[in-house]
Amino acid sequence: MVLPPVAVVAVFIGFPVGAAIAYTLGKTGGPNSTVALIAQRQHVAKHGVTLGAYREVLGNSHVRGDLWATVWVTLLTIGVVVALSWAIGLYVRLSDTWIARAVSALSVIPLFIPVVIASYSILTFYAAQGFLKTLAYHTGWHSFPTLGYTMWAVVIGEVWVNVPFGVLMMSSGLNAVPNALIEAARDSGASLPQTIRAVLFPMNVIPTVIVATFTGIYVLGSFTVPYLTGPSAPNLMGVSMSQFFQSFNQPQQAEVMAMIVFVLAAGLGTIYVWANMRAAKRASQTT
Amino acid sequence: MSVVEQAGIVPIARRRPRPTVRSVTVRAVGTVLVVALLVFMVGPLIWLALRAFSDIWPYPRFLPSDWTLKWWHSVFADKSLGNSIKLSFEFAPVVTVASAAICLPAAYAFSRLNFPGRRFFLVSLFATNAFPKIGLYISMAGVFYTFNLMGTFLGVVFVQLIGTIVFMTWIPAAAFSSVPRSLEEAARDAGAGPLRVFFRITFPLAAPGIFVAMVLSFLYSFDEAQGTFLVGIPNYITMPTEMYTLVLNYPEQAGAVFSILLAVPSIILMSLVRKHIMGGRLAEGFQLR
Repeated sequence: MVLPPVAVVAVFIGFPVGAAIAYTLGKTGGPNSTVALIAQRQHVAKHGVTLGAYREVLGNSHVRGDLWATVWVTLLTIGVVVALSWAIGLYVRLSDTWIARAVSALSVIPLFIPVVIASYSILTFYAAQGFLKTLAYHTGWHSFPTLGYTMWAVVIGEVWVNVPFGVLMMSSGLNAVPNALIEAARDSGASLPQTIRAVLFPMNVIPTVIVATFTGIYVLGSFTVPYLTGPSAPNLMGVSMSQFFQSFNQPQQAEVMAMIVFVLAAGLGTIYVWANMRAAKRASQTT
Repeated sequence: MSVVEQAGIVPIARRRPRPTVRSVTVRAVGTVLVVALLVFMVGPLIWLALRAFSDIWPYPRFLPSDWTLKWWHSVFADKSLGNSIKLSFEFAPVVTVASAAICLPAAYAFSRLNFPGRRFFLVSLFATNAFPKIGLYISMAGVFYTFNLMGTFLGVVFVQLIGTIVFMTWIPAAAFSSVPRSLEEAARDAGAGPLRVFFRITFPLAAPGIFVAMVLSFLYSFDEAQGTFLVGIPNYITMPTEMYTLVLNYPEQAGAVFSILLAVPSIILMSLVRKHIMGGRLAEGFQLR
């Protein structure tokens, strides 16, 4: 019964990724034979493997610019999403006013909106004639920068899209902390920041790591947000790999970029698995 | 200090602390942050929605100076746009039904049966979440050429299917697990066969969770743009992929109209399952246990 979905994952993820690894190392036979027929500028290994495609892609200064942009946008988005999710989650956990409920309702709005539309609306909002520029103009700040078509708009878009997941994750983690524990800390004289540091934070390391990991993987794998809101170059790897695949007809180079992004994601995934294992170990030690 | 206060009873009138500079600043900062969040989350959507009804919107005005409905007429008159709307409503049900057929038996097995390798299979399904999507689509597209799936209906279905596997397995599995075994056993004792127990007891009780998974799957397919764009063009251009070209080639107002049309199914369907998502079920699915 469990075989069908596992088979789908094996056939449509395991197999293509394996074939892509072979193709990037210069193996143009088997499942790669058709794509190899139409591709340009291929690095083919007659015997063994060749790292030619990796050398070419990493030697390309434009790609290195994209890689650098991808790394800092990913890290900045992770930082902002984690901070915002914690702030909103804490506010909703510790305060029971209509404002807190409004904040939690606001923060999940992106779930209801397709990413394409979100990106487009963010582009127009921060564009040269957008709301932010209009607001700045009326407050007398005429030289306010245009954020549309810059990497800042990409960061804003990625944050906007990822906030609901972060907030849901952190709220569910913070709600799991019993009231009694928080009250006990407060009664013994701990200030609010101390309570957060000594009680709420240690009990929510795993949700925080989950938010950070999956936000990072989302940004690394995103195309729509950077394609619609970002500059033409340098942009995130997702945009440039699509261009190499479709526009430049260089699928081997595109797949090399995919591998680079996979390696970055694997780094994030390792932290996630490590945190889960550490938590499991702790749990088995205490019980 | 009065006797009353020493006894630990604070007079009601003193309960509310007098506003200090600090409490006023805290409150002011709080209000500013809430307003900023409101502008950040909702502002772009309102700004775009207004554009769908605007004729002339000179900078720097907060509202259009002339209003019109002509963009709605032009979008509805455009053949290729109408076609993409039709396509989106074809893909989404196909992907949802396919995903349900593939994943629901597995969901039942994960929930009710204990078999060797259960954990391994469960984690392997989560691999779909561990890969950055666009890199995965590029890898898939590479071998899709060999299997003649590029630019085909089936190819697009497969690309969209991948993203639905995790929640189509996870949410129904949780739903099956929440059906009390004692109910099933009681039906068995009353003489019902295993199939009858499943269709009369287990399935109806798990149906709401399955419904949520199907709605999410439908929406995923309906909103998926990047994989469909890579594999489907030039033959299959759904609504969200149409947006890519629309943004570049049409006036902004037409893009705004199309955005509203595309957002409507999302908003309606998401509102149906809102409670379930907010309840933390989505969050649970990401904990490796």
